[in-house]
Amino acid sequence: MIASRQPNGSAISALRSLLPVLVVLALIALVPLLSPSNRFLSLAISAGINVIALYGLSVLFGQTGILSMGHAALVGVGAYTAAILARDLCTGFWLALPAAALASALFAMIVGIPSLRVGGHHFVIMTFAFGQLLAIVLTNGGDYTGAATGLDLVGPVTLFGADMSDLTRYYLMVVAFVAAAAVASWAIINSPYGRTLRAIRENERLAASLGINVGRHKIGAFVVSGIFAGISGVLLAHFLGHISPTQFASFPSIYLALMVMIGGARLIAGPLAGGILVAFLPEVLNLDPVQSRIVYGVCLIAVILLLPEGLIAGVGQVFRRLLASGQPKQEREELDTASTTPSEVRR
Amino acid sequence: MSPILEIRGLSKRFGGVTALSGVDLAIEEGEILGVVGPNGSGKTTLFNVVTGVHMPSGGSVSFRGRDITGLKPHAISRAGIGYTFQQAMAFAGLRVLENVQIAGEHVRVNAGASHHPWPTPLALLDFVGLAALADERAGVLPFGSLRLLGLALALASRPALLLLDEPAAGLNDRETAALVGLVRQLPGHGITVCVIDHDMKLMQMLCRRLAVLDFGSKIADGPTGAVLADPKVLDVYLGGDL
Repeated sequence: MIASRQPNGSAISALRSLLPVLVVLALIALVPLLSPSNRFLSLAISAGINVIALYGLSVLFGQTGILSMGHAALVGVGAYTAAILARDLCTGFWLALPAAALASALFAMIVGIPSLRVGGHHFVIMTFAFGQLLAIVLTNGGDYTGAATGLDLVGPVTLFGADMSDLTRYYLMVVAFVAAAAVASWAIINSPYGRTLRAIRENERLAASLGINVGRHKIGAFVVSGIFAGISGVLLAHFLGHISPTQFASFPSIYLALMVMIGGARLIAGPLAGGILVAFLPEVLNLDPVQSRIVYGVCLIAVILLLPEGLIAGVGQVFRRLLASGQPKQEREELDTASTTPSEVRR
Repeated sequence: MSPILEIRGLSKRFGGVTALSGVDLAIEEGEILGVVGPNGSGKTTLFNVVTGVHMPSGGSVSFRGRDITGLKPHAISRAGIGYTFQQAMAFAGLRVLENVQIAGEHVRVNAGASHHPWPTPLALLDFVGLAALADERAGVLPFGSLRLLGLALALASRPALLLLDEPAAGLNDRETAALVGLVRQLPGHGITVCVIDHDMKLMQMLCRRLAVLDFGSKIADGPTGAVLADPKVLDVYLGGDL
């Protein structure tokens, strides 16, 4: 009886987690109607491009429990693939997508096979090192990679004959890509494959004892996250029109990890929230880069200590408590108690 | 009849420490074999080498006539050897039913098992008496239930041979009795069992045959009564003073 009820119930609750994200994205797609500034659109496009990579990172970190501190390198492989293909083979945007996804996936596999043999913190350090290594290789790649100057990327992005290079159109296209990334990540999370990844996250030894090939699945999750990163890289390269090694070195990688942690890696709304928040927080608070780094650091510490499952999970917790208690006046008090519960439940 | 698991001359050294030296052990199909020995005698190391957690320093392990020495843990599990851990383990963040579902998802490649109808995850939970907790998160289960869930997980992986590492550690008498009742039924379902423990009372309840390890060597192997009467066993197991 329970067995027949279960799949249905979980499918509906799974859809319920995706729906708000798609509604929010639909609203975001309507923003151009308010004729926002070019600065806003550019910022939003950058945020959206990050969010695509974050959805891959959420499969890796949120589901499988392994953190990559070199994720921008995978984005970089995608971006350079797009730029080099455009230069040497005059390949356009759409052909660059599968090529870059493949290149980033391959790079993830090459990095993953030696790195995932060592577990836990060592993997974090290995990915960090590989990220730095890629930046060094690109810088010393001579004319082929454009060295420290990087590469220019020319050629319009067209969709069904329409020129998508226009800022508003590119914005809409990125929103569509973010929606696709969210759906893809959601589908992975709710598949038996996603469940296998969570089993590995929860207990590797037990997973192996039940016939799960832990090593192969971890590399697989890294490769999947690489596909997201590669696509994100193509969008970035065509948006900026110029890419250089420093864009894919350690700082951007740390930012990506920070975004997924702040938003919450396990929930489908997490990457979207993290990406938007980190992109727009300095704008809203009017911070300079140094100040914003300090704010990010404080945010990260606060999230790790108070909301270990991320902002979205924390906000949800607060909401549930408010609804349950029916005392919205004591919001501050509720916030304090609610913020401590996730860590208590987890321990 | 050839044994289901045959261990020949198995050795394991950790640096200068010899945990196992030349252990021979055969497990016959359909029996419940007990492996006993004082702490540090090599019982868990024996399990860890058989299940692929450690590479053996020497010797071989064959399962149903196939050499499985040095295979990875997941491959050993897929070959048809299930095991439970000394520390009760589950996927704490996932629901109890999900735990058992995962456990049954990765063994379909096990050709031997796929032809038999196997109990559904819920039927397995029912078997160990946890069906009512199917929707709970595994992390909130009390210790005794966690042990039973561990058994259900191992059973879901369709083992022909089940290795239990101190299955009753931390259980009270009532829980132990329930566990003994369950384990005794397993040979009737075609599952051979090997139990490690140093609880002699439990072993006497479960096993007709015992093997005794001491300092990494097997010092006795035979019917439970005879082994327990063996002065050599009494000496190492209960201590010379007794």
